[in-house]
Amino acid sequence: MAIVKRKELSIGEKLYLPAIFRGLSMTFRQMFKKRVTRQYPEEPLPVNEVTRGQPRLAVNDDGTIRCVSCGLCEAACPAYAITIDGQETDRFIEREPERFDIDMLRCILCGFCEEACPKDAILMSDELELADFSREALIYDVERLKRPVSQLRPRLDYVYKVNERW
Amino acid sequence: MKSTTFDYRPGFADSDADDPLSGETIEVNMGPQHPATHGVLRLGMDLDGETMVRVDADVGYLHRGKEKTAESLGWAKFFPHTDRLDYVQPLINNIGYAMALEKLAGIEIPPRAEVVRVLLMEISRIAAHLIYLGTSSIDLGAVTMFFNTFKERENIYSILDAYTGHRMNNTYVRIGGLYADVDEKVEGMMREFLTQFPARVDEFEGLLTGNRIWYDRNRDVGVISPEEAMAWSLTGPILRGSGVEWDLRKNEPYCGYETYDFEIPVGTVGDCYDRYLVRVEEMRQSCKIALQALNRLKDTPGDVLAEDRRYILPPRTKVMSSMEELIAQFKIVTDLCLPKGEAYAGVESSKGELGFFAISDGTADPARLHIRAPGLMNVQAIPLIAEGRLLSDIVAIIGSLDFVMGEVDR
Repeated sequence: MAIVKRKELSIGEKLYLPAIFRGLSMTFRQMFKKRVTRQYPEEPLPVNEVTRGQPRLAVNDDGTIRCVSCGLCEAACPAYAITIDGQETDRFIEREPERFDIDMLRCILCGFCEEACPKDAILMSDELELADFSREALIYDVERLKRPVSQLRPRLDYVYKVNERW
Repeated sequence: MKSTTFDYRPGFADSDADDPLSGETIEVNMGPQHPATHGVLRLGMDLDGETMVRVDADVGYLHRGKEKTAESLGWAKFFPHTDRLDYVQPLINNIGYAMALEKLAGIEIPPRAEVVRVLLMEISRIAAHLIYLGTSSIDLGAVTMFFNTFKERENIYSILDAYTGHRMNNTYVRIGGLYADVDEKVEGMMREFLTQFPARVDEFEGLLTGNRIWYDRNRDVGVISPEEAMAWSLTGPILRGSGVEWDLRKNEPYCGYETYDFEIPVGTVGDCYDRYLVRVEEMRQSCKIALQALNRLKDTPGDVLAEDRRYILPPRTKVMSSMEELIAQFKIVTDLCLPKGEAYAGVESSKGELGFFAISDGTADPARLHIRAPGLMNVQAIPLIAEGRLLSDIVAIIGSLDFVMGEVDR
């Protein structure tokens, strides 16, 4: 147990003037220090593979989508942001999404979809900005979610790295 | 100069027999959209002159039904919701909830996860106390403090950003451990922050502790006696400010806190000034614990996630290659059923005892999840300590009780 010390004010402190100068000196010293304010839109935020931005769908090098519409991301989503309808395809993977919508207004960027995906198809990108004129425009469909896998590669490598266990 | 305590009982302070308005009260509403109420708290007050005759704290403006939501959301999917309880310290909330579920499921977390959890909890505690220091002092006019504490907190958020990928609402704790391990870069950032931080605390204390305005407005304001504090089930810095040595980290240790060397600061009088001193000292102690945890990191190798195939997602490479793990992945994501029973886990958050009481009926959803929010109890103390005081004291009292409405209303 450590009892905190309650000090009584000294005469100098009671005068209040030293406190003013102390505060002012702190303010004055700031002028010669490095500025910490970021001029945000002009100076973008630093992003790297750890950044959990908006989820995106990975597209293979041959232009086909990786998703097999198993619905696991939909089940894992705590915000009910993902809607998937599957359909059959002639490709080897047999199933692909007919509709894959992510409501970006609902998405809380928790990354549970990425963690759940058994096909490395949905990944958190480093894209953070989100603005439009209507709510409908912010429900992203497959076409808007598609990103080449090369662009998402750093994140994919990171996810494999942190999940290396047992 | 002697610090003065007047007896501001109703009708006493201004008991001027000739004043025709003496004893007549006026009803004033403060909030819910008042900048000094730290969120959407409404105070209904009856004022007699400048004396508060009656103060009612009205909560519920930020009620989002978190406990009820949990009953239909499932165990794992509730983690992001715990972030949003006390949003200045999301990781402590995550850990408290995870601890309740681990108790329920009977999972032992690996030693490295415990060390990283302690590290994260103490860093979050520092961030939360910095917010207290900044907001309560700007309410009393100390603008320099606000900018300086927020600048310092920014460093913590940069660390958490580098570690979790988010600044706030991290959601990085899982049942059985943590999502990812702390890497060298984050470790270096933490070490750099923690070594320079005590000097910054001294600087903050130098600006406030001996400041005449801070002193006069906090000293002997909002006194809570130890008996009252216990009767109103107040916890955290408020209880300790009243002189009761009660800290879950010492009294009911979890995450291996009993192996760390730190002290519990307690106050003597129980006023706003004591609560301020306790929190400042707690920041130093947190820094000390976090440094110890940081030094332990290299001695405790291993995973940060327990190996339990019933409740924890299998490693990703195996999901991609083996059928068993793929099936486990599907089962755990879609239907994470915890065994029947009930469990309570309490953690010492920056506001007090944050408890999660989970009752499971064996299905994928909690039968009931109760959250013991320390902020709710702390808000209840407002009428107790504010009635009979001057109107200007309420700002100091609210600031020193340091609640976050997201947690109070939940």
